Amino acid sequence: MNLRFRSALTVLALLMVAVSLGGCGKNTAKSSLAEIRRRDTLIVGVFGDKPPFGYIDQDGRNVGFDVALARELGRVLLGDERKVTFVTLEAANRVAFLQSNKVDIILANFTNTPERAEVVDFAQPYMRAALGVVVPNDSPLRSLSDLKGHVLIVDKGTTAESYFVKNYPEVELLRFDQNTEAFQALKDGRGAALSHDNMLLFAWTQANPGFKLIEANLGNADVIAPAVKKGNAELLNWTNEQIIRLRKEGFFRRAYEKELRPHFGSAVKDPSTVLVEDPST
Amino acid sequence: MALDAPFIARHLPDFGRAFLLTLGLGVAAIGGSLVVGLLGNGLRHVPIPGARFLVRSYVEVARNTPLLVQLFFLYFGLPALGIRWSGLTCAVVGLTFLGGSYMIETFRSGFDAVKKEQIEAGLSIGLSRFQLVRYVILPQALATALPGVAANCIFLLKETSIVGIIAVPDLMHLTQGLIGLYYKTYESLLLLTLAYLLMIVPASWALFRLERRLRYGHRPA
Repeated sequence: MNLRFRSALTVLALLMVAVSLGGCGKNTAKSSLAEIRRRDTLIVGVFGDKPPFGYIDQDGRNVGFDVALARELGRVLLGDERKVTFVTLEAANRVAFLQSNKVDIILANFTNTPERAEVVDFAQPYMRAALGVVVPNDSPLRSLSDLKGHVLIVDKGTTAESYFVKNYPEVELLRFDQNTEAFQALKDGRGAALSHDNMLLFAWTQANPGFKLIEANLGNADVIAPAVKKGNAELLNWTNEQIIRLRKEGFFRRAYEKELRPHFGSAVKDPSTVLVEDPST
Repeated sequence: MALDAPFIARHLPDFGRAFLLTLGLGVAAIGGSLVVGLLGNGLRHVPIPGARFLVRSYVEVARNTPLLVQLFFLYFGLPALGIRWSGLTCAVVGLTFLGGSYMIETFRSGFDAVKKEQIEAGLSIGLSRFQLVRYVILPQALATALPGVAANCIFLLKETSIVGIIAVPDLMHLTQGLIGLYYKTYESLLLLTLAYLLMIVPASWALFRLERRLRYGHRPA
């Protein structure tokens, strides 16, 4: 028994050493522009189940608004929009993928928040985001103030989760890893409502007419931006230049018409309410 | 590297709650699995046609499908059939379903190891069927099966870490949530590891002691 206890302590001590070493080690930037050109492919983290931003179409291809931007960046940097390797990820592990050098850039509907800005570097924004809340059409809930005492479904690691944790701690949260599971849980009646980015919900309610939005503009007027690993100034500057240029060239307006309008339908009247075309506004 | 002590202090109560939930879930699953394991072995010996086949089929299905799939079926599949259990209920049922099949096999090895001569000797001195089971078969079978049973218990405690996928707020689910919200990866993982050690090291030690007591006669001279 003594031996067992001692070995358990040894394991614990080793673990702590490993944790502290991991924290101290300076990771070398593996996502320099030279390195990306050498390997001849840009590795981008995107969503796989969040239409219309990043999802998989019937042929198994990555598609969506974020994916279109990723392909454009690949075309500019490497001369071919096919020279982009997509890594599908979940909201909660976006930061980890950057930190562990698994992707060069995250283009996954990534809202710029102060907490996240401490651990990754956000480039120039390309969209605006607020939070929405959906309920079944026959729900008695009319607005945010009715949510108290009800179960609200969210995705782990999203701005929706942190907004309700901070501002409405009395609302009980049911947290899922993936969108598919969260929306299925709403359909199964496991929560009274679901909160997510408003644009995602615009699209979802178009596709699921049994549900309606009771809130569409919650939270700070946040912006969505590409993110690179903290400290990768070279890639950050390059990405910033591209975003500014693409805004001027009307790329986002074209991508909106192609990727977003078919999903949003009449839910969004004016694209300029969701696109960042002039960051001063 | 500096750990964020205020963060740890602030979220220690969260870990306390998740610890109790995880432990409760594990204990319920172990209890349920032991009952299923013994009943399953009982069923193998009753003269009901098909009982053996039923137990055999259950063991094969439960052991050869991942727990993840079983939990998804219970949580997302059953509502389609009109059965809607809470996440916690699904977790207990899922873990018991899986653990029960392991326990059946482990107990079986114990029962099969009881020598035929022992049973014949018991019968020859006129023991009743109940006495035979109570005083001859069970003590020997359980002692033989105990190391395997103990391993199954530890396995079930650790296997609770998967129930977060159906939104049950266990230790793993809490940790992933905190990392996602505040990006305090090292602090959260440290608390998580300590919590599991705090749960499993004492459990492992207690099972080891129990084993030494019950298997006294089995120890090599």
